[in-house]
Amino acid sequence: MRRVLVTGLGAVSPFGAGVKAYWAGLAAGTCAIRPATLIETDGFRCGVAAEVPDGVGGSSRRSRADRLAFAAAREALEDAGLAAADHRDTALIVGAVGGGMLEAEAWHWTRRGRPVRGPARLGAVRSILPSAHAESLGHRLGLGGPRESIVTACSSGAASLAVAAELIAAGAVDVAVAGGADALTRICYMGFSALKLLDSAPCRPFDRDRKGMSIGEGAAFVVLEAAEHARARGARGYAELTGAAMTTDAHHVTAPHPEGDGMARAMRAALAQGRVVPGDVGYVNAHGTATLQNDRIEAAALRAVFGEGRVLVSSTKSMIGHTMAAAGSLEALATVLALVHGLVPPTAQHEHTDPEVPFDCVPRVARETALAHAISNSFGFGGQNVTLLFRARP
Amino acid sequence: MTVRVAITGIGAVTLPATGGAAVLAHALAPPADGAGAALDPERIDRVLAELVEPGEARRLSRVSQLALVAGRLAIADAGLAADGALGLVIGTELGDLRSTIAFAEGYLARGASGLSPLLFPNTVMNTMASTAAIALTARELSLTIDAPGIAGEIAIARAAAFVAAGRIPAALAGGVDELDPAVAAVLAEARGGFAVRGEAAAFVVLESLAGAAARGARILGEVRAAATGALPASPYGVGRTSTSRVLARTLAHAGVGPGALRAVYTGTNGDGRRDAWEARVLAPVAAAPRIALARRFGQSSALGALKVAAAALDGPALVYGLARGGGEAALVIGG
Repeated sequence: MRRVLVTGLGAVSPFGAGVKAYWAGLAAGTCAIRPATLIETDGFRCGVAAEVPDGVGGSSRRSRADRLAFAAAREALEDAGLAAADHRDTALIVGAVGGGMLEAEAWHWTRRGRPVRGPARLGAVRSILPSAHAESLGHRLGLGGPRESIVTACSSGAASLAVAAELIAAGAVDVAVAGGADALTRICYMGFSALKLLDSAPCRPFDRDRKGMSIGEGAAFVVLEAAEHARARGARGYAELTGAAMTTDAHHVTAPHPEGDGMARAMRAALAQGRVVPGDVGYVNAHGTATLQNDRIEAAALRAVFGEGRVLVSSTKSMIGHTMAAAGSLEALATVLALVHGLVPPTAQHEHTDPEVPFDCVPRVARETALAHAISNSFGFGGQNVTLLFRARP
Repeated sequence: MTVRVAITGIGAVTLPATGGAAVLAHALAPPADGAGAALDPERIDRVLAELVEPGEARRLSRVSQLALVAGRLAIADAGLAADGALGLVIGTELGDLRSTIAFAEGYLARGASGLSPLLFPNTVMNTMASTAAIALTARELSLTIDAPGIAGEIAIARAAAFVAAGRIPAALAGGVDELDPAVAAVLAEARGGFAVRGEAAAFVVLESLAGAAARGARILGEVRAAATGALPASPYGVGRTSTSRVLARTLAHAGVGPGALRAVYTGTNGDGRRDAWEARVLAPVAAAPRIALARRFGQSSALGALKVAAAALDGPALVYGLARGGGEAALVIGG
């Protein structure tokens, strides 16, 4: 199997466009969860979300999620400095959930006599499906390799990296653009409201007094590349993706396995792929949604794999919310950047660690520390677990 | 591929036939008179009523029931034990849009109190995979692949690659789509392109050839090569390029010359411009007979597994799919 390097990064986050803005926000511990403006929240308990600020760019005929995805994927490709000839066989693997639902909702809601924000166009339905992003990006970026849209709920963005890494490791392609994108949608917001999983204030992962999650939006893409291909063209690698493991709980459609069995299996499999032992890993970017159940079960799985207090654990969702299909890839970027900068992003709003979370959750302030290996956890509805293991550039 | 990948089971719920390899062998054979018999469109509902357990019928959406029944048939056909060592790769184009609309309608009709927490998980497209994983005790990776036209073919190619790489010992791979007339009509109006849509679920069981032989499994066929890619085209549009590197690469990896193919299972589905484009791309394998299963089964993401199953029963054969927008998949299946 071939080694896989991360050679390009791109992000559009609630901190704005670009990787620089994203990392600056994370490193400063800034919370970007604010009163929601894109969707109607009247009649619901929660009125906050992490929205990408004005200036998303691109034609308003495209869905917001498409525009987020395009900006992030283009930044990653430009960052990698690939020649146009390389695009011909480059794979595009997109993690997606909501597709162009935000605009399709506006059309459907309006047709049903309940006008909402945003234009109501039948054309919006064209891009309603998750696959719409890959169709649009592949065409606009001229990517002619495998084109796949991966849906594993909230772990879709991470799963896209795992699938892309497998394509490269197996020799099917030399280069892949992989990541996830999602815009806020009414259905997502209302669904989590119906499940009573949203906090009315910005979320507080792993905190004793947490009340639930905050939703967000964004996009992040990476360029993954076979190590020999990157070396041959003199490309730098931000980090190496040494392990990418996916497991399924096969337990419940919304609740994780009560002992975190599937989560722990994913982490152990990623470590085994990367040929490292738990003690080698210095940082875990947790799924950390701030729901009562997820955080406790993830902590139990972390304890089973790493031992109590043996690794730094933080949740960047405390700053950018849960960005759904983008979460896994935005958090993979955060993990890579933590390795690059030797700085662990904090868990914002974290005051009192839940006694059932026996880890240093890096409260409120980023922590300088040298890191050799770090993992990013992503878990989704249906018990879809993904763990990505990154190694710092030597 | 590093590990040879065997096809050891088939299961399908389709309008013409429901069952495993023995039933499908008959249904997949070309009709003697060149046309299928008239079929009762409510037949699938009767199949689901018969094969879905009452508790599952209450909990699961219709498209999830379709996937579950076809998955169970394939696992039984393969004689595979439910020991958790199974991965799922499910292709779909439309997912559970019916539930998404129903969830939204709850709000539009009754406000926040009309939102169903039970319905919400179905609005995420992986709902078929997650419910199937629970029912089938599939604890390895589980992926849902969304793609126009060729989601089933992509799912099988991806699952074969995971088995070949040794990531999973066995996989249930294929696809499912249900036919909701309202959804199909809106998409057709918005996108253009009018394939003859159908509804079905179909899966194959893939496992390492060595592992299958060791457990004494019946080998239906082998995935000798598989690749996916994209030809230039605008989203949901038809392109001009008629040279497919994916096709050439797949035949080369399989070590099969065009003259050795006994059949080419195409994506011909009644969408005239797409069909003509695919015919141009398939010119290098023009000597082999072309078989279009969509004529009998309708266009759905189940076609990939049906084509692979037919090819396994009739191999060596090429399974090819080209979607509007340029997505393509090619698999060489050995009998």
